[in-house]
Amino acid sequence: MSQESISYEAARDELISVVTRLEAGGTTLEESLTLWERGEELAKICQSWLDGARTRLESARSLLGD
Amino acid sequence: METSEENPAPVRVISAAIGEYVGRLGPVWVEGEIAEMTARPGTIMAFMRLKDPSVDMSISVSIPKAIIKSVSVEPLPPNALIKVFGRISWYAPRGSISLMAKSIALVGQGELLARIEALRNLLAAEGLFADSRKRPLPFLPRKIGLICGRASAAEHDVVENAKRRWPAVEFEIREVAVQGINAVIEVSAAIRELDGISDVDVIIITRGGGSFEDLLPFSDEGLIRLVAKCVTPIVSAIGHEQDAPLLDLVADLRASTPTDAAKRVVPDVQEQSALIQALKDRSRRKLVSLLDHEKAKLSSLLSRPVIADPGTIVTTRYEVIASLVARARAMSPQATLDRGYAVVQSEMGVVIRSAKSVHQGQRLRLRLAEGIAIAVAEGENP
Repeated sequence: MSQESISYEAARDELISVVTRLEAGGTTLEESLTLWERGEELAKICQSWLDGARTRLESARSLLGD
Repeated sequence: METSEENPAPVRVISAAIGEYVGRLGPVWVEGEIAEMTARPGTIMAFMRLKDPSVDMSISVSIPKAIIKSVSVEPLPPNALIKVFGRISWYAPRGSISLMAKSIALVGQGELLARIEALRNLLAAEGLFADSRKRPLPFLPRKIGLICGRASAAEHDVVENAKRRWPAVEFEIREVAVQGINAVIEVSAAIRELDGISDVDVIIITRGGGSFEDLLPFSDEGLIRLVAKCVTPIVSAIGHEQDAPLLDLVADLRASTPTDAAKRVVPDVQEQSALIQALKDRSRRKLVSLLDHEKAKLSSLLSRPVIADPGTIVTTRYEVIASLVARARAMSPQATLDRGYAVVQSEMGVVIRSAKSVHQGQRLRLRLAEGIAIAVAEGENP
């Protein structure tokens, strides 16, 4: 998955809405799977922000003038 | 003054000209901080370097010791803020300029306070302290700019607390003078530099407690205006709780102590990780339950005979047909015919039930167990 440049807070808030929608039910199995996948991806992004990996990645990227 | 390479002016002419320009300034009151002071015993004059508190400029002042004694018995404290009155003089033999002070006045704390108050009102009127200007701090700063005293307790408190909350935190630390002569200049330079670094998302300016004079630089107009112009959010953590330099008012956030500053700038990452983990678990549990539900639905479908044993489709059909056939057969006379009976019908197919209705020569159809025979009747059996 591409490294979206989404802020920690935005990722966390979207994750919360994904989980709430998933728990609300009424979605097809297909939709639930897609929701769940998005949730996992968002969680990964949040964790990488928290681990500082993203910060180092971003600063490394800015050093390379990416 | 016209001079050229071919006909340069001699030093004395230039020196005289400088003396004349300088003289035009006339007597002035000058205020500044004593950066250096020399008063060799046995001489009547004292010499000092008077420095501007906000900008890196200074002038030299010579002043009779007696005049100093007239305002202050003990020697003037270092960095004291003073006002001197006198004329600027040009000392031609050495080509040096200095202010010959005729009188001196100390700037007392009362006056300083009054000045800060006036400045506060001025800046407030300009809206520099307006809440609408306050920018929110970034939730997870990529880098934290930290301006503090050299190896100070304040630096230690900020760094340690930030690290405890977020081990991956990164700092850009600038250790500068946080009091005295060069404080304003060094702090301002550090602010400009850090404000220019793109991934520094927040800047903390901090120092420990100190005297009124120690904290004075953090109410300097130039410094306050610079902070107001910064792009990066600024956190002020100066002195103790009760200290309130103007920096507190212009900063985007005022922290009461360096530790408080760390807490306000860096979230508790363990807490956030736990939240993220909980969200992940919830979504996984929900999906698993959804899948189980679907699986259950599926298996209940699958266990239904028509699917479990496709053969049943045929057998059930067969049974249906078989029962139809049986019923049909039960209706049809075939079984009776098989036992030797026959059905007699007229040519028209009407079933003959009474001998009386048969007349001589009538053609009859005899339906036997197997096939149909044709017979010609002779009549009723007498």
